[in-house]
Amino acid sequence: MKKLYSNKLTICLFLLPAILLFVGVLVAPIVMSLYYSFFDWDGISSTKTFVGFNNYKEMFTDDTINMGLALKNTCILALLSVVIQLPLSLFLALLLAKGRKGERGFLSVYFMPVLISTVVIGQLWMKIYNPDYGILNVALRSLGLEKWTRIWLGDKKTALWAAFVPTLWQYVGYHMLLLYAGVKSVPPEYREAAMIDGAREGQINRYIIIPYIKPILKISVIFAVTGSFKSFDLIYVLTNGGPAGATQVPSTRMIELLFTRNRYGMGSAIATVLIVMCFVAALLIGFFFREKED
Amino acid sequence: MKKRIFAALMAALMVVGVVGCGKKDNAKDGKTSLTMWCIATESDSNRKSYEKSIQDFKDNHPDIDFSWEAIENQAYKTKIKAAVSANEMPDIFFTWSCAFLGDFVSAGRVYCVDDVYKQYADELPEVMMGNVKYDGKYYGVPMTMNIVGMFCNMEILKEVGYTAVPATYDELIECCDKLVAAGKIPFGCSGKETWCVTEYLESIIEKTAGATALNKIFAGTESWNNADVSKAVGIFQEMIEKGYFDPSGIALTNDEVKANFMDGKYAFYMNGTWNCADFDKAGLSDKIVVAEFPVIDASKSQLGELIGGPSDTLAVAQDSKNAKLAAESAFELAKGICHYGYLDGCGLPAWTPDYDTSSVNPLTQSVAEICANASQYVLFGDTAMTAESATIYLEYVSKIYSSEISGADFVSGLVEKIK
Repeated sequence: MKKLYSNKLTICLFLLPAILLFVGVLVAPIVMSLYYSFFDWDGISSTKTFVGFNNYKEMFTDDTINMGLALKNTCILALLSVVIQLPLSLFLALLLAKGRKGERGFLSVYFMPVLISTVVIGQLWMKIYNPDYGILNVALRSLGLEKWTRIWLGDKKTALWAAFVPTLWQYVGYHMLLLYAGVKSVPPEYREAAMIDGAREGQINRYIIIPYIKPILKISVIFAVTGSFKSFDLIYVLTNGGPAGATQVPSTRMIELLFTRNRYGMGSAIATVLIVMCFVAALLIGFFFREKED
Repeated sequence: MKKRIFAALMAALMVVGVVGCGKKDNAKDGKTSLTMWCIATESDSNRKSYEKSIQDFKDNHPDIDFSWEAIENQAYKTKIKAAVSANEMPDIFFTWSCAFLGDFVSAGRVYCVDDVYKQYADELPEVMMGNVKYDGKYYGVPMTMNIVGMFCNMEILKEVGYTAVPATYDELIECCDKLVAAGKIPFGCSGKETWCVTEYLESIIEKTAGATALNKIFAGTESWNNADVSKAVGIFQEMIEKGYFDPSGIALTNDEVKANFMDGKYAFYMNGTWNCADFDKAGLSDKIVVAEFPVIDASKSQLGELIGGPSDTLAVAQDSKNAKLAAESAFELAKGICHYGYLDGCGLPAWTPDYDTSSVNPLTQSVAEICANASQYVLFGDTAMTAESATIYLEYVSKIYSSEISGADFVSGLVEKIK
């Protein structure tokens, strides 16, 4: 076996399938997107015009693309994910991991939205937000709060937030499950020792459990932030970027440019920006957690 | 030895797998294979006409192995563009005429049907081929044509004292005022699907600026910088401000708005005449009347100037292995779809009918009468313009519907952005 591993050709042969898969599925599309982003191309014809960094400049200066607003929207979503979604997930994970009655049932219930198709969730929330018969407006009316009723997905002031609520809600269960597994992996002796020393529940969570599950928290934060940057499906179903572009995020704009406006080069430029954003975010979050760990 | 045999077998399996990933063989059991993509999904009002026409085609051509796939409208636009880009198109594909098909033609991906058209020229008038003509050559086969109709719920109009559709613009406004005063909503329009807003806006622009001016603007030979366009947009916004439109509409899909109209929530609904079939099937033919939007500026427009025209088209891939046969099949299929579609009330025929049309529903017959008196057509703006221009145009229309910009901003924005 030692002889086998010392043969470089054998090592290369063993690695080849994985390398081919990695390059073909991940590296090549990124490189191709980067390449196309330097061209003005409709994605159909055989002629491409090299425009250098013009697509990158134009996406921030052309108000029919308005990348600034799309980035702002996606950053708000990322912030909400970290500030609202993750604390809620952590709270539920800590609560359930205590071994309460019906623990498995609650886990399934909270995880269920992750299993449901996003399009179905979109349709469900569209019905909830329906201005005429939606449960939200009906409930407000029946509580005498008529003036609070809104056209939730049609009003520029509320559409963004209304579209974000289901996005955040859908993945609470996902992060909860990750964190729940982390909390469950904490050796019970730590908790017991702290309790003998007189620590209260809150103190145990703060000084023992949360520091212990920090690597999982880091993964959750990376998933939440990069997931927000890539968000597309629910926004597409709920508002399709409207009203009047108020809920556009980079992915919806990218699809519009690629397939509706036939601007393959510009769409590729947005894809490249998204990839860079996700990489930078992952690195920054990793760096932030490493600093804290040190 | 066993290991070697096993390795050889695995290698053979891999080779078979790789070969299997290649393009599929065009001949099956000695038959010629043809494939078609279209948008006639189960919920599409044209579904039955496609099914019947395809069945006829299969019965008449047992030597052709014909398969087809229907994809939802919005998803189809993405799918067909990706297929054209990768040059992996089906033999026959549904497309919208003018600019949408034009992009594919410019890229050299569409088969010219000039030779085959000669065989059908007597049944398919040349005037219907205008939107599939590029550089003097034909690249598609139109099926049906549709216009924007103003569908009126006469039961609601009766409640405010009208027994006929308001004939003039002033009468329409007076009627809307009465409806609003009576707590009724005059118009329903989906804001989530911006093309629905254009059905209203384009009709108002056409009846203010005239069909000739609007055609030139869409064709790009005249600027958007037109005082009448500004005025028309102002009129549309005034109608919104006066409460003539359901405010909920901005967040609803067209299906939801249409359902509301069919439930009697709105007095008027402006949309494509392909809806006639659904209204008839729902038993609403006796209380719904279809009419033309009235003239706003009689010095520039007149009745008979309509928004619409033949747009639904079948085209053939340039690289189809059986392009000539596919083109002949496309003509035959289009003729059948037109035939059954017209009888079902899914639009007017682009092909001259050579069959009994007395069973056509009364709403579609009314549309046929309107079209018989038509003097000029303006194709739907998002079909007439290039993809880039159409998207920018729709974005500005969306801003108008949400009252974010004024008529002047609309005009100046389009002048600046549409090249």
